[in-house]
Amino acid sequence: MQTVLNLLEAEPIRLLLSFALILFLVLNLAGILTFAERKVAAYIQLRYGPNRVGPRGFLQPAADVVKLFTKENVMPHRADMWIFLGAPIAMFLPAAAVWLVVPFAPRSVVADLNVGVVFFIALTSIGALGLIMAGYGSRSTFSLLGAMRGAAQMISYEVPLILSLLGVIMLSGSLSFQDVVNSQSGGFWHWYFLPQLPMFITFYIAGVAEARRVPFDLPEGESEIVGGFMVEYSGMTWGLIQASEFASMALVSAITATLFLGGWQPPFEFLDLGNFNWLWFAIKTALIIFTFQWIRWSLPRLRMDQLMDFGWKILVPVCLIWLFVTAGAMLLLPSVF
Amino acid sequence: MLGEERRTEGTALTQPASGRLASPDIRDEFGLETIDMNMGPQHPAMHGLLRLILELDGETVVRCDPVMGYLHRSKEKISENRMYPAVIPITDRIDYMNNMAMEYGYCLAVEKLLDVEIPPRADAIRALMNEFSRIMSHIPSLGFLLLELGAFTPILYAFRERERIQSIMEEVTGARMMFHYIRLGGVKADLPEGMPEKMWEYIEGLESRLQPDFIDLIEGNEIFIARTRGVGKITPEKAVEMGLTGVPLRCTGVEFDVRKHYPYGWYENLDFDVVTDQAGDVEASYRCRIGEVRQSIRMIKQILQSLPEGEVMGDMGRRIRPTEGDGIGRVESARGEYAVHVVSDGSDTPYRVHYRTPCTVNMQLLQEIVPGHYLPDIMPIMGLIDPVSGAWDK
Repeated sequence: MQTVLNLLEAEPIRLLLSFALILFLVLNLAGILTFAERKVAAYIQLRYGPNRVGPRGFLQPAADVVKLFTKENVMPHRADMWIFLGAPIAMFLPAAAVWLVVPFAPRSVVADLNVGVVFFIALTSIGALGLIMAGYGSRSTFSLLGAMRGAAQMISYEVPLILSLLGVIMLSGSLSFQDVVNSQSGGFWHWYFLPQLPMFITFYIAGVAEARRVPFDLPEGESEIVGGFMVEYSGMTWGLIQASEFASMALVSAITATLFLGGWQPPFEFLDLGNFNWLWFAIKTALIIFTFQWIRWSLPRLRMDQLMDFGWKILVPVCLIWLFVTAGAMLLLPSVF
Repeated sequence: MLGEERRTEGTALTQPASGRLASPDIRDEFGLETIDMNMGPQHPAMHGLLRLILELDGETVVRCDPVMGYLHRSKEKISENRMYPAVIPITDRIDYMNNMAMEYGYCLAVEKLLDVEIPPRADAIRALMNEFSRIMSHIPSLGFLLLELGAFTPILYAFRERERIQSIMEEVTGARMMFHYIRLGGVKADLPEGMPEKMWEYIEGLESRLQPDFIDLIEGNEIFIARTRGVGKITPEKAVEMGLTGVPLRCTGVEFDVRKHYPYGWYENLDFDVVTDQAGDVEASYRCRIGEVRQSIRMIKQILQSLPEGEVMGDMGRRIRPTEGDGIGRVESARGEYAVHVVSDGSDTPYRVHYRTPCTVNMQLLQEIVPGHYLPDIMPIMGLIDPVSGAWDK
């Protein structure tokens, strides 16, 4: 027994187990989120949503997964097999791997990297690669257009996403997510969304674009290019793309909660739950996910040129201005920070 | 597939409406080519079965060729082989979103040949059902427009209204979609007991729901405005030149409505306005449709307040054999002017029936105005025209 425990504490094995746990969590999260998405949509649209499989429809995701696994995986005749099949994996793995640096509770983080924020930025950028692979490998005009849009969108929205992070990094003085959360302790008025409000909004919007959700779901653009880059996918490859979409939505929500809403910090100090602070983290993440879904089912989609204009002409200047304001305030009022 | 001429003509597009073209220098330097893209006939946003052959420069459309005929069901030929009353169910299936107007046009044309007198109550009920049918078509078409812009929710609110009207229609006609209600000489049956009150109650409710459920949710939305304002702009001259009718014509500012200018049936007795708008773009067409729904509500109220008593079927006789000649029936359907031309050779089947559906004519717009727009702008332009597959193919 003791040897087993000792073995568990060995760093490589601990990491391996944690990664398995994270993968398990993310895959389940994707399932739960599909259910949540359909229920939220249904209540917005005056319907009931899935309510047949299991109690109140809770087993619907399981039924979906069974269906996806048993479905034939159709590949277009002239598609590039390795690129086509590699794309869903290239999309899913980065979205799952970033969870390794997300702090769930005071002592629950798989790897508290001192460059966690950079790790997040780097891995989310790789997600765009998978998207381009999917669009290029399927050999379809629709997919190619989707991939082109996806690439343009990811590159343009990466810029405001990174710029809006900088304010928080300047205030906390660290690139580690755990340090960022620790520096927001002591009630919700210490959270960074208040001094960094424009950055918070920019990050949120860029995050919606990063997660490819309405009004920025142009790579999918279901009314004109009917699914865009994933139009040729079916069965579990499609399921993996969907899972990565939901995982990246949850990820963006979790990062927003961590950076701007205090992560696992309770809103008031007397509500501190110790090791159970992950509850606060979960509540905040779930609320942000809900706003994503709310927007998804209420708004129409932007057009590509409008999307680019919005990113470069509004979000980037707002970020730059607020960056200077933050820097100036830190320089002139060092006592406050 | 198409002549080289058209192709070069399309590529020579210089002033795009909303899109941006690669500059000729860059195009020549890097040897950029346009891509051909085939959209449809199986495509969720094509209002049925429409195929568009597109030539794209990036995301800008430089050439758009609609290919029709994927839902061709030989309506005109079938009509020649059926007896006069038996053609009515065929007309029902032409424009399946606005069936009443289809029946009405055919009946008007044959009644001109027959020279039969329609009882006033039947006329009033025909107008009443037509206006319900118009609402039933306009509200979902607003939903479709929003659906094609990417908002999924409005379509469900729109279909809730359509379902409620369908329930009313079912009680009156016995069917939810293919009514076969307007007959030669009158209507199939009188309104059931208590129906006018029920209709009144529904129409009052719709009037109060229109503002919160459709207008407030859609009209002020920045993204909706960004996607529709200035998109698919047509000038009144061009609209008249192309022979457009219905909302695509009226949203450019041309006041033309068959109900007003060539009144038929009960419409002479009704007080209503022709809704027009000046902009001539997708947003204007949306405002026109909302305005027309309001006018329809107004007309339904007027009809219900002064519903004449009496018979609902004229004296027709058992066998319908019009004298030789031809008759034309023009009605304003939800999509524009719908006309039926019936030629009789004295037998009990028509010699020739021609349906002039507004969709076929309005679809010319695609070829004319889509080039120069971005690819996603095709969807709101389809929403402006609001064609129905069954109606353009017949």
